[in-house]
Amino acid sequence: MQARIRGTCQKRMGTMGIDKTVVGISLGSSQRDHEAEIILSGTRVKIRRQGSDGSLARAKELLIDLDGQVDAIGLGGIDRWLVVDGERYAVRDAEMLAAAVKKTPVVDGRGFKEVFEPKVIRQLLAAGQIDSSQRVLMVSALDRFGMADAFYALGFPTIAGDLIFSAGLDLPIVSRRELVELARRLLPEVVKRPFAEFYPVGEAQETVPDQRFQRYFDQADIIAGDFHLIRRYLPPVLAGKIVVTNTTTSKDVENLKQRGVRLLVTTTPILSGRSFGTNVVEAAMVAVLGVGPDEPGWTHAVESFDMAFSQMDLNPA
Amino acid sequence: MGLTATLQGFAEKCNQHERLRVMNRDWTRNVRVLAEDVGQDYWIRSVAGELSAGEGELSEDADMEIRADQRVLEAVFSGEMTPTEPYNQGDLMVRGNQDDLFRLDVITLMIWGE
Repeated sequence: MQARIRGTCQKRMGTMGIDKTVVGISLGSSQRDHEAEIILSGTRVKIRRQGSDGSLARAKELLIDLDGQVDAIGLGGIDRWLVVDGERYAVRDAEMLAAAVKKTPVVDGRGFKEVFEPKVIRQLLAAGQIDSSQRVLMVSALDRFGMADAFYALGFPTIAGDLIFSAGLDLPIVSRRELVELARRLLPEVVKRPFAEFYPVGEAQETVPDQRFQRYFDQADIIAGDFHLIRRYLPPVLAGKIVVTNTTTSKDVENLKQRGVRLLVTTTPILSGRSFGTNVVEAAMVAVLGVGPDEPGWTHAVESFDMAFSQMDLNPA
Repeated sequence: MGLTATLQGFAEKCNQHERLRVMNRDWTRNVRVLAEDVGQDYWIRSVAGELSAGEGELSEDADMEIRADQRVLEAVFSGEMTPTEPYNQGDLMVRGNQDDLFRLDVITLMIWGE
């Protein structure tokens, strides 16, 4: 890969002992399993991701096995809560999984996304990497309200594709107000339904892209949000586009490069060719900081954390 | 206004809503609407997103069936009440695909707002 990588998180390959261990249990494909070691605020953390191939039962077994054995657990491929405009909606499937863990902190990346991802958008704007006249397609905003809210607040014309890409309804959400109204009306019931009805889990993460909604990608300058949703609907050509996402592998990066993506920004750092899920990064932060995302010191701790997002110029202009 | 006029008004609002027309263009359904308390049948038909409605039994098999008292149906299809509200209270029964109920919720939200 010829891409230029900037601002990755610090990584050390030494022989010193591991200070903390965190594991991300994901409903995603086990083909994406990986592990790495990182240094966070001087603490060496071993992080590992393990997929359950879409099986809630398998994920629950893995969680029970890990309970009390590691410093923190990330829940991936599913959101424990969707938080929109201050309202929190508990996802039933994820609550069931989290309830299986009695001793170890369980996080889903929400705390990281709420605090860190808006900061990424502000920094990209301040650095001139993006500008507020660019049209944004957020493939899903309900699971990344912090990022969506940053785009809205900074004046980016933003379309949220939650109904399109998660429910198959060809209705773009065209404003923050509309997004919040839809969340208030629909989420109380939606969160009770099986999560797999709205989000690709297991083998669904590896299927051939569905190109019914290509025009929304064509109309956007910036494509942002969950990578599995982006990948599921990925059009053949994305010339000159900016993609802001995470959980990409080196194969995904090559795929985006071949389609003409100009700049790939991953909000989590790239380690061993992959950007980790927000849940795993958040679990590492919880393990190191000793503070959880619902505790008062969380926002300050995350904002002051020495962690950089990644930028890759895949097809420089 | 009777339920027939309410349903026809609902269909008309859908047809006039540009974004809903785009959203519903892949939606072809025959919906039976039964006012249980008076035993009266009504129908809504969507053909590639073009909605129509009327009184009486459907001539085709129903893809979806909505049952409730007449006042509940009038409230839902006139925007006074969301479909989810009576559904959760057991006052509105839906037989068919849950995605269709979700779509109905989105339609009523787009027409009447919260």
